[in-house]
Amino acid sequence: MKKINSICIIDDDTIMVYGIRKLLELVVDCDDITSYANGKLAFEGIQEKYKATAKAPDIIFLDINMPIMDGWQFLEKFIALPLQQKVRINIVTSSIDPVDKKNYERYTTKTEHIISYNNKPLRKTLIEEITKPA
Amino acid sequence: MLKGPPIRINNSLINQLPKAIVFVNERFEVVHASDEWLTDFKLESPDVFGTSILELFTRTGRDWENALRDCLSGASDETTVHLNLDTTSNDTWFEWTCVPWNDEQGHIIGLIIETEDITQRKLDEAQNKRLRSLLKATCEIGKIGCWEYCFKEDKLTWCEMTRKIHEVSDDFVPTLDNAVQFYKDGHSRNTMAMVLHEATQKGKHWSERLQIISAKGNEIWVQTAGMPIFKDEKLVGFTGTFQNINDQVQSETKTKENELLLRTLVDYLPLNVYIKDTESRKILVNKAECAYLGVDNPEEILGKSDFELYDHDIAQISRNEDLRVMETLKPILSKETTNRKKNGKSTTFLTSKIPLLDNCGKAKGLVGISMDITQIKQKEEELHDLVNVASLQNKKLINFAHIVSHNLRSHSANFAMLLDFLVHEKEESEKANIHSMLTNASDNLMETLENLNEVVAINTNVNLDKKSISLRNKIDTVRHTLSAYLAENSGTLLNEVCDTIKIQVIPAYIDSILMNFITNSVRFKDPKRNPIITMTATGENGYTVLSITDNGLGIDLKKYGDKLFGMYKTFHDHCDARGIGLYIAKNQIEAMNGKVTVESKVGIGSTFKIYFDEKNQ
Repeated sequence: MKKINSICIIDDDTIMVYGIRKLLELVVDCDDITSYANGKLAFEGIQEKYKATAKAPDIIFLDINMPIMDGWQFLEKFIALPLQQKVRINIVTSSIDPVDKKNYERYTTKTEHIISYNNKPLRKTLIEEITKPA
Repeated sequence: MLKGPPIRINNSLINQLPKAIVFVNERFEVVHASDEWLTDFKLESPDVFGTSILELFTRTGRDWENALRDCLSGASDETTVHLNLDTTSNDTWFEWTCVPWNDEQGHIIGLIIETEDITQRKLDEAQNKRLRSLLKATCEIGKIGCWEYCFKEDKLTWCEMTRKIHEVSDDFVPTLDNAVQFYKDGHSRNTMAMVLHEATQKGKHWSERLQIISAKGNEIWVQTAGMPIFKDEKLVGFTGTFQNINDQVQSETKTKENELLLRTLVDYLPLNVYIKDTESRKILVNKAECAYLGVDNPEEILGKSDFELYDHDIAQISRNEDLRVMETLKPILSKETTNRKKNGKSTTFLTSKIPLLDNCGKAKGLVGISMDITQIKQKEEELHDLVNVASLQNKKLINFAHIVSHNLRSHSANFAMLLDFLVHEKEESEKANIHSMLTNASDNLMETLENLNEVVAINTNVNLDKKSISLRNKIDTVRHTLSAYLAENSGTLLNEVCDTIKIQVIPAYIDSILMNFITNSVRFKDPKRNPIITMTATGENGYTVLSITDNGLGIDLKKYGDKLFGMYKTFHDHCDARGIGLYIAKNQIEAMNGKVTVESKVGIGSTFKIYFDEKNQ
């Protein structure tokens, strides 16, 4: 099993968080899986952790539709962080709105980080494929 | 010595003759001469006598001499000769009449010559000739003939031109009766008979424009004029002129017809047509323009400028256009203009202004043509509004479709995932855990469906009947319903809406809307202060505007403005925030043809403005 240092899940849907955690257990070996209910909490959490350890999560699972701060707003702030490492950001959404897909394409050109766009539900094979360091 | 009268110096009897007479002997030597004769030829008496007149008048020619000799020889009893006598300046003409001078025995002993200065007569004749040819030319060109009628002989005389106009043959003999018969049956003949009667009875002149039927059957317009002739105060006849004016009448008729056609056309065009002079005063207006300006008679507008008909600002714009057209000679074509009458009524026109040129190519005014497109404009705006509404609806629909798909998909994704886990799960405790999550997911799906259903209901029941309700009373009622909730949050609701204000609303919606906004304000109160919500209302452009002002947290509109009324959007870290209330409220307001706007400042509070359509549709 692959060894991943740190994974972060950002989703307001507790069932989804549970599901991702459960799938991750099957495909990777990771001791540090953190989850946040919205973009704001996640950004604050990641920032704090980075200040303390100078490390950002290797992989982020990001939902788009969330209260307070949605996935895009989080992404906007996150890519502005002066990180040394490349992060893999897996967008996970049930949206089929073309606007979201366009947004995703726009962000892929704006950052060095690896971004992927995935529709719910997540399957084991998909999670295996997208859960690897950038 | 030839026989003949002795030459005597004088004979007082002959001297005194009142005419210019000279007696010559057979050798043409002057024997006697009247003083008149001497004066006429400026001759001195003693020198003349005994001198041959052939010597006295050298410039007379052989004809004259031969004539005298003929007379002397008895070949002719009387001879008249016209003699041109060249005086120093003008030609002078004399008529010489000679008769033989006989002695007692009947022998010709000389000639008696009477001379007469006929220069004037000669001049008159020439003048006369000239006048006659002039008259003839006038008659020919003007097609004017003349006629004369004599009562005594009952004779009507037509000149050549008059005959020509009547198109009669050379042997036609006109009479008063057949002349009248030439006039066209009806008005023309009746008029002619009447004027002749009047002229006969009262001696009146006449001049009439009438129609005749010529001998060849042509209908011809004539100007016939006449006057009675009196002799010793007794009517003896008539004389008059007769003119063919067919061409003039026909061209006049044609011109009149064209004028009438043009006038009819201009008058009944469904466009406002006018002509203005260089001072922009109207000199012609058609019926549409009269109707537009609210007058029956064009006279009420003619001569007036725009400054007298419209407000100064409007008139000045029009005047500037007029000046530009007349200065540049370039027409304005189909320009959209707005005109406002003094009563404040605005009309949109498609206006054209075309310069009118004088003979020198300078503008002497302009022709204006305006089409009232106010209604088209209104329809265009209505259409534009409809398109806006339609595109807004479409946007809402797409938005809603995405919401539905997103929400349902996220639930179904959860179900799929959880069920997949359940199948592979071995541990009983974990199985129970997944079971409870499935129940939870099912509840969430149910709630989502209910919410969506509510939104669909609002958008499909747009035809629910509106009722007129008192806004102030309605707010009071809702405040009463929410009194426990308000007290719990130490909230105050100030109802400052005037009790005369009525709004046209669907009663179920207004309750829901007011509750949503009030609870929204309380929910997002600033924890540092007790919530105060103030409600006021005003009228604005066909809407009753309810303003709901709170002293809550406020919203960063730059960040969230476009999402504020979206579904499942929340902006505050607040467990109560469901993100559905404002979305439903907005849908309900729009279902009643209203709209909602927001102003907000973070840390100070928000003001929501709800626009209720005053029309009861």
